[in-house]
Amino acid sequence: MFVNLSKLNLREECPLSDKGAPKLCLKALPGEGAERSCAFDGARVVLMPITDAAHVVHGPIACAGNSWDNRGARSSGAQLYRRGLTTDLMEMDVVYGGEKKLIQAIVEVAAKHRPKAVFVYATCLSALIGDDLEFACRQAQAQVPVPVIPVNAPGFLGDKNIGNRVSGEVLFQQVIGTAEPEGSHPFAINFIGEYNIAGDLWGVLPSLEAIGVKLQSCISGDARFDDLRTAHRAKLNILVCSKSLTNLVKQMEKKYGIPYIEGSFYGIHDTSKTLRAIAEAFGDADLIARTEDHIRQKEAETRALIAPYRQGLEGKRAVLFTGGVKTWSMVTTLKELGIEVLAGGTQNSTPEDFLRMKALMDPEAHIIEDTSAAGFLTLIKEKAPDLIVAGGKTKYLAHKTRTPFLDINHGRNLPYAGYNGMITFAKAVARTVFSPVWEKMQKPFPAGGDVP
Amino acid sequence: MMQPRSSVNADLAMDNVVAKAANATEDVKAGSASAAPAVTPRSYTGNPQKNSPALGATLAYMGVDGLLALLHGSQGCSTFIRLQLSRHFKEPVPLNSTALLEETAIFGGWEHLKKGIAKAADKFKPRIIGVMSSGLTETFGDDMGSAWSTLRQERPDLSGLPVVLAKTPDYIGSLQEGYQRTALALVETLAKDSAPQEAKTIALLPGAHLTPADVEELKDMVSLFGLTPLVLPDISTSLDGHSEIDPAPVVQGGITLEEIRRIPGSVAAFSFGPSMAVVGEALQRMHGVPHLAVHSLTGLDAVDLFVLTLCQISGRPIPERLLRQRSRLLDTLADYHDQIGQKKIALALESDLLLSLAGCLAEFGAVIQTALAASAPEPSAVPPGIPVAVGDLEHLEEMAAGSHLIIANSNARQAALPLKIPHLRAGLPVFDRAGMPQTVWIGYRGTQRFLIDCLNAMAV
Repeated sequence: MFVNLSKLNLREECPLSDKGAPKLCLKALPGEGAERSCAFDGARVVLMPITDAAHVVHGPIACAGNSWDNRGARSSGAQLYRRGLTTDLMEMDVVYGGEKKLIQAIVEVAAKHRPKAVFVYATCLSALIGDDLEFACRQAQAQVPVPVIPVNAPGFLGDKNIGNRVSGEVLFQQVIGTAEPEGSHPFAINFIGEYNIAGDLWGVLPSLEAIGVKLQSCISGDARFDDLRTAHRAKLNILVCSKSLTNLVKQMEKKYGIPYIEGSFYGIHDTSKTLRAIAEAFGDADLIARTEDHIRQKEAETRALIAPYRQGLEGKRAVLFTGGVKTWSMVTTLKELGIEVLAGGTQNSTPEDFLRMKALMDPEAHIIEDTSAAGFLTLIKEKAPDLIVAGGKTKYLAHKTRTPFLDINHGRNLPYAGYNGMITFAKAVARTVFSPVWEKMQKPFPAGGDVP
Repeated sequence: MMQPRSSVNADLAMDNVVAKAANATEDVKAGSASAAPAVTPRSYTGNPQKNSPALGATLAYMGVDGLLALLHGSQGCSTFIRLQLSRHFKEPVPLNSTALLEETAIFGGWEHLKKGIAKAADKFKPRIIGVMSSGLTETFGDDMGSAWSTLRQERPDLSGLPVVLAKTPDYIGSLQEGYQRTALALVETLAKDSAPQEAKTIALLPGAHLTPADVEELKDMVSLFGLTPLVLPDISTSLDGHSEIDPAPVVQGGITLEEIRRIPGSVAAFSFGPSMAVVGEALQRMHGVPHLAVHSLTGLDAVDLFVLTLCQISGRPIPERLLRQRSRLLDTLADYHDQIGQKKIALALESDLLLSLAGCLAEFGAVIQTALAASAPEPSAVPPGIPVAVGDLEHLEEMAAGSHLIIANSNARQAALPLKIPHLRAGLPVFDRAGMPQTVWIGYRGTQRFLIDCLNAMAV
């Protein structure tokens, strides 16, 4: 009943032997404190930003109860995706099976919340007790007028990336290509792996509009289900973040002939590079000219606006600890502000992400091998950076080291994508690096009360 | 493969489904007409207020100094817990995992648990390891006790390491149940030997509903009577948001192992919150420590009872400071009796906190319109006149209309915002208001603060 993992092309991407390289298909060791997430989480990360769908977790309270509405993926419309919906399996369900409860739950959720689709997620426990998710979804489908889509990525399947890939498969097999768009646009594109954290997507849309490119669908930030169904009519796929969705773009290329390029919208350099690559992929002279104009104008504007921040930040040294596209894109973005990356670490990236990060960083820079809390603390002590750039998981531990810290992952409130995002980012970096708080925290205080 | 449907047809078909479901709901209502207000029975939980029992277990373990918490489950279980607790307390949460994978679903996770304990012990050098199970491992029936005793034979160097094993499958309730079971496991494992009697020492067993600042207030109150408190678990020095000199990947602060071992010598034990009574009873059963179950520390009668008991145990009169605080509380009640009187309040909280806060509000003249517990409380612990039911935040959304105030965790904003009802944050998680871990709502001073917070929330 599970997705065939060999289909997800995990094996071929494993063999990096570099120190600190992400181990996509290897197993986390018990007790090592790797602090990585699971396949179920990975599946939800991709699908949950489909804002007008209901997301039903078939499992005990742990899987949904601790984690719903906890990511900053924003919506410009429907709020249904933020709802925590779960079968909340209890002891008797574990003994007698939860399929009937699940079918009934799907029907009730559909009636109460009127979603455009219902995504149903397996969990470790429901998989273990042998509940047949596909069967239950088919049964519910007979009573519900919108698509009911099983997502079979129980946590024990492995890391978050595996869940990302499973949801890519689900979208490819059951959503994309099930409806036709109303009209066609000569420059229609899809974003793949842009989750609209804190409104990142909205920072990029003005540039697309300026150059005359239409976003057919975004997989899956601020997504509407019906838009995703028409994604196969886009002319180009842009793999924005999480190379874990490579399987999706490759399959769309094969089946629908949609070529793909990779890009990032973090920082001036990567934003321009990606916009340019989009225009060049279409090969339209007018589009290329418009894009070059836009880039010239926005780069000049943005550089002028961040100049005062760069002046102060020049020569600062940072430790970077993140995943996915940010592993490499943040290196250039920080450089844009004159900040050198002393050390980098990654848990949830692909080997490609990792290699890119290494290529961009100073060869002397340190690659973090031990990504546990203990490893992190040792590194910070050793390197004494001026800034730590990482995600929420590390945030409060980082504060204990009394080092300026900037959250760049899904817990943040500010969008950092696109040219405007760069300005927001520069301000945020400066705010934390120059906050008067750190100096007060680092200043010794005489415990004995001795006045010097 | 699904066919594209026009949205008009889908909407029409959906109307039929809605109509059917509405009929079903009517039937249910007709069947239980006497019970008001009725919680709509559903096959799903919508916007859960429950957190997992293992999260409660982690919270309890965070109150023990030098402890490393190890969750026997897959990786995501611990990641979700770390994030949830971190965003509530704004603190790192040293929680480790046995990182179960697919083959463990077939062969069991027994070996993983042994490896996990050994690895965590070698790498992080904790003073204590606190293990909790998950729905996964309890379902395939991993025997944690035998895994640990086998490991102890294989690794004699680890035999001196205290390891606590708490059984907290995901399907037994909410965070309160996991916390309760873990507090019990801590007592049964680490305080199992008797200890010399200490005439002025009392054991305090705070429930999961107390904030770090609440626990500190509790210690201060007891100390005013010249008594020495031993608090298990003690999150007042570990999750109080202090800035360590040297951060570590294990719990920093909390009760020490030596202090836990002194607990059997206490002159009395108090448990706080109905769910914690079993832990106090265990102490009484194991060591003959007289146990007093304190259901609530919020509200005038509740605090009076506790304070008078402390007078008896210590042989001292009520300290001047507490009398002053009581007097201030009474004055606040007089000043605002009309603003709290007959106000309709809807609450959705873990049951210990729910009973405590709802009881206090009812005591001062408010009307409890809805009281939704995350899991069923002991019926005898429910104060009269409080309509307690088990429900989620979608139930709250359905039942809170017309009330003047909602008291629930941050997730209830999806209920409160559309209803335009003021929403006072309480419980866990609270991530969109500052200062929840520093909030004191117990004792005379805390009761006064709770009333003021309610009044200010309503004074829009």
